[in-house]
Amino acid sequence: MKEKLKKLNEFEWELDKNVRPRMNVKARVIGNKKIIDDLDDGTLEQLTNVACLPGVIEPVIGMSDMHFGYGLPMGAVIAFDPEKGIISSGCTGFDINCGINSIRTNLTYDEVKAKLKELVPALFSAVPCGVGSKGKLRLTPGQLDQVLTRGVNWAVENGYGVKDDIEHTEENGCMEGGDTSKVSDLAKKRGGPQLGTLGAGNHFLEIQKVSEIFDKEYAKKLGITDTNQVLIMLHCGSRGFGHQVASDYLKIHEQAIKKYNIWIPDSQLVGAPANSNEGQDYFAAMKCAVNYAFVNRLVMTQWIRETFEKVFNKDWESMDMKTIYAIAHNITKIEEHTINGEKKKVYVTRKGATRAFPDIPALIAGTMGTASYICKGTEIAMQKTFGSTVHGAGRAMSRHAAIKRFWGGKVKEELAQKGIVAQSTHPKVLAEEAPLAYKNVIDVVDSVHGAGVSPKVCRLTPLGCCKG
Amino acid sequence: MKKYKFIDNLTSDVMFEAYGKDLKEVFENAAEALFSVICQTKKVGQNIVKDIVIEAEDVRGLMINWLQELIARVDIEELFFSKFEVQEISETKLKAKVYGEKAKPELGETVVKAVTYYKFKFEKTEDGYVARMSLDI
Repeated sequence: MKEKLKKLNEFEWELDKNVRPRMNVKARVIGNKKIIDDLDDGTLEQLTNVACLPGVIEPVIGMSDMHFGYGLPMGAVIAFDPEKGIISSGCTGFDINCGINSIRTNLTYDEVKAKLKELVPALFSAVPCGVGSKGKLRLTPGQLDQVLTRGVNWAVENGYGVKDDIEHTEENGCMEGGDTSKVSDLAKKRGGPQLGTLGAGNHFLEIQKVSEIFDKEYAKKLGITDTNQVLIMLHCGSRGFGHQVASDYLKIHEQAIKKYNIWIPDSQLVGAPANSNEGQDYFAAMKCAVNYAFVNRLVMTQWIRETFEKVFNKDWESMDMKTIYAIAHNITKIEEHTINGEKKKVYVTRKGATRAFPDIPALIAGTMGTASYICKGTEIAMQKTFGSTVHGAGRAMSRHAAIKRFWGGKVKEELAQKGIVAQSTHPKVLAEEAPLAYKNVIDVVDSVHGAGVSPKVCRLTPLGCCKG
Repeated sequence: MKKYKFIDNLTSDVMFEAYGKDLKEVFENAAEALFSVICQTKKVGQNIVKDIVIEAEDVRGLMINWLQELIARVDIEELFFSKFEVQEISETKLKAKVYGEKAKPELGETVVKAVTYYKFKFEKTEDGYVARMSLDI
């Protein structure tokens, strides 16, 4: 399949509709030569699979962090016509509203470096990490319903975060139309005890320093003025709640494709017509999971602030610990885009892809040994990628292979040599998430920067990291 | 006969095959493989016992539902399991006793989000059964 990629320019590539049978639209891939050289055929085939789905709008997009996923690659964007298209629980995936919050401070690297060995363990105990960790919040069913329908508004009313956080969250931290009657009791039972927990795997809480500023003017608007300024990044999602919503609707959508006689090239791409009950019920349940995840991250943000208050003996407001932005990278939404010259509301699924609307920050997570980025969305992204960009470095090696190749203790030691304090529930997590198990984040971000989709604002390098 | 084997096939996740001379054994071994990903099963005690009943339309669905139920119980009951006894089983229903203890991070490995249908296989072989599945972690 790779040999069929047509080069459009240094950073953009295309697969024609005729590269395989039954594609409805072209596929476009963003990536520099290095990214394209390393792409495997299976990932590209997955991208052409989604190009076969009904009502899909041209083009389907693979980002520079694209890698093989379930049904479709991680790092993909697909738009569907609201009449002829489908809503696909398979495409949105298991970790609904997995995303990132970036929080600034006015602390310098030197101030934080001196306290790092105290700060990382304090954060590790304040924010429950790892499988088997206990959430500190125990919600009544009524409170959980409020979280699911009112999102961060519930959080702020209950002392988790402030109004300013709401204004700096995608969708203002609440997708309207979340309907708890469309969510199974099992999902609610799984979600109840887990609000305010980080989870495990690639989810993390990281203390970072600004290592380079590319766009000083825009960075200033975000409250980033100096290199060596310390920021915090939180990466996680909707936990067991979202996983169960996805599992429940995959079963429903498996039946729906038979009922509505929809042909799909891969059984994992199940969905239902966008305007069907099965499609809209999923959308209403998915919104509950989206809201859960926004609240989950904001609750932990508040605990991070409280931990900084204890360690630095100052209140969080005086440390300027405001949310720079909070964004989703696994989600389906209705958005207005220009299709064939006309403005139209369409369903956009971002699977391991971040919204990149003009002048709004896009947060991109790297690995714990390399770098993360803040980029800026653009009008070009609206034209080329349905207002989307990459979400992270993208895995280059399976977790299993990483465990075989790396040893957690050594990874920790190597990070320590770089001045990075990493703490995890056990060393294996550090091996799984070893920086070398990922693509080179510089190539990933340079590709979307070069394509004009999301220019770089600043690079953030890790100082301390908590992993599940 | 080997109980299970991990297959290095997925970039982001975990795939395994479980084996068994009969349905009972392949279901028990699949659960064991799953929990070897979630927690350090050798260190997890067996003082808490739970009864589980699972139903499905066919044996493939029964396997998925069995593992999904166990994943959900980790979240809901905050338990890790280390021993699985399938007591009655047909192609559409099983009754089991599972043994474990309260979950704690020191005994944990990683979060399994779900069992997926990616390259899912459930086959009868000369020696019994083989089940292959992928876990989203």
